[in-house]
Amino acid sequence: MKRLRNAIILILLPLVFIAAALLVGRYSISLREIIETIIRPSAAASENYRVIWYLRLPRAVAAAMCGAALAVSGAAFQGVFRNPLVNSGLLGVSNGAGFGACLAIVFLGGGAYTYILAFVFALLAVVLSYFSGRVSKVTTSVTLILGGVIVSSFFSALISILKFIADPYSQLPSITFWFMGSFADVGYLHFYAFLPMALGMLLIFLSRWRINVLSMGDREAAALGVDVKKYQFLIIGGATLATASAVCISGTIGWVGLVVPHIGRMLVGNNNVRLIPVSMSLGACFLTLMDILSRCISTAEIPIGILCALIGTPFFVYLLKKTRGGGWA
Amino acid sequence: MGMILSVKDLSFSYGARKALDRVSFEMNPGEILCVMGPNGSGKSTLIDCVLGIHKPDSGTLLLDGKEVQAYKRQEIARHAAYVPQNHSVTFPYTVREAVMMGRTAYLPAFGAPGAKDEQLAEEAMDRVGISQLADRPYGSISGGELRLVLLARALCQQTPLILMDEPTAHLDYRNELKFLELVSSLSKEDGISILIATHAPDQAFFFESTGCNVSALFLQKGVVASKGRPGEIITESCLEGIYGIRAKILESDGEKTILLQKSL
Repeated sequence: MKRLRNAIILILLPLVFIAAALLVGRYSISLREIIETIIRPSAAASENYRVIWYLRLPRAVAAAMCGAALAVSGAAFQGVFRNPLVNSGLLGVSNGAGFGACLAIVFLGGGAYTYILAFVFALLAVVLSYFSGRVSKVTTSVTLILGGVIVSSFFSALISILKFIADPYSQLPSITFWFMGSFADVGYLHFYAFLPMALGMLLIFLSRWRINVLSMGDREAAALGVDVKKYQFLIIGGATLATASAVCISGTIGWVGLVVPHIGRMLVGNNNVRLIPVSMSLGACFLTLMDILSRCISTAEIPIGILCALIGTPFFVYLLKKTRGGGWA
Repeated sequence: MGMILSVKDLSFSYGARKALDRVSFEMNPGEILCVMGPNGSGKSTLIDCVLGIHKPDSGTLLLDGKEVQAYKRQEIARHAAYVPQNHSVTFPYTVREAVMMGRTAYLPAFGAPGAKDEQLAEEAMDRVGISQLADRPYGSISGGELRLVLLARALCQQTPLILMDEPTAHLDYRNELKFLELVSSLSKEDGISILIATHAPDQAFFFESTGCNVSALFLQKGVVASKGRPGEIITESCLEGIYGIRAKILESDGEKTILLQKSL
């Protein structure tokens, strides 16, 4: 009973934030009008219909999905690599995606190409990390991380080259804004990215107990009966799919993947059976809230990556003090 | 009754370096086997082979009558559990959660432990006497307690064989003795076979004096130097030959002990 109740809370919570996202904004629509627009779209005022169905709803849903994906991938990476300091960009996903996006902006005029290339290069970066970290036919956790760091820096150099040759008046600002992250241009077309994203999250969710066991170290995990290679593949693969899809929609928002899992740990402990769903829910709420703020605080949109760090950091410090680190200190 | 573990002519090398060379021995149900030898003599490698982590170059290694490499990963974990020498705590799981990890061997591919597994974890913690720690983060308990958590985790796996790699290294006298008493009672009362890699031949004497069915096996550079009852094979000349030390074996109240004198 208690588990069912908790599950319902974890699912409802992000929905509340999405509902809130529909309510607030510079174009004011009353609660009644919103409900009418949702229930009977055909009868609604065309302005309201456009704002709700084409601006606020897709944006809020995308923010929630990306938040969940980034947070859960971060939690999974931290567990599998036994390192509480890594985020989902560890294996080069962020810089790979960044390079893909820059490539599209500089040579293909941006647009839909940005998302596609960001996604493709994010996956490519992880594959490269894997093979860079392969020493005499095996890839251990340490060499994999090393491979990730190397490949990340390689793509970071490529990004710099593209920035260097980009048109400073049109392309360079686009690149800069992409790296700060934003959900401003989200439409239903982006929802295709939910497919790999959901698949990735599902893989992590299903393997969540095994993440606990993998965090005991490869040798002990094997002795405890876990096929280490198989589950590493499933979990890292899942996290990569989820992060790549999220990053291609929103631009890079590294903060969520690093910090939200820790907030989750302070609230429910380290057991990934609880932590994984809680990270998803918290990540979704957090990024939806940040997106609301990013479009409401000032007349010009504030990039969401900036807000995450600005608002999230003091909140994190507060929690750290309040929970006394939840077993960490 | 069949052998729990039957090793015959087992060889394994790391690249060109031979770590185990035609090792043979057998273990009966409820038997304790103390595997001894200097650093780098192949004790840990032997354990890795039994766990199926290393694939032997040649020889046979039968776990409950079946070749280890023929088992699936999860099946091995239902036959042999492992208590590691070093365990570094990254995430401070509660003691209960850490012990419950021993149930992984019985979970379906995407499963998580349920109420029954939690019950078994409680019993395992009770058996080793750490129930009062159940809700503590397992990173903030003492070294001796951590060792007991790892033992409880292995018990939770409900295997007929437990492999221990220098489990009492870093423990103080009392904790070491408590651990050894526990091992002794697991062998005598629960009929669990225990292969224990150790640096202390005294421990083999201890098991012998508490009435366990105990054997000792000395490894030297990957070769079995001698094996048999501890009282018979652990002699002053054997210690000199294997460790390069001069030592005296004393006897008091029916228990033998080793007095170290000089390295040669």
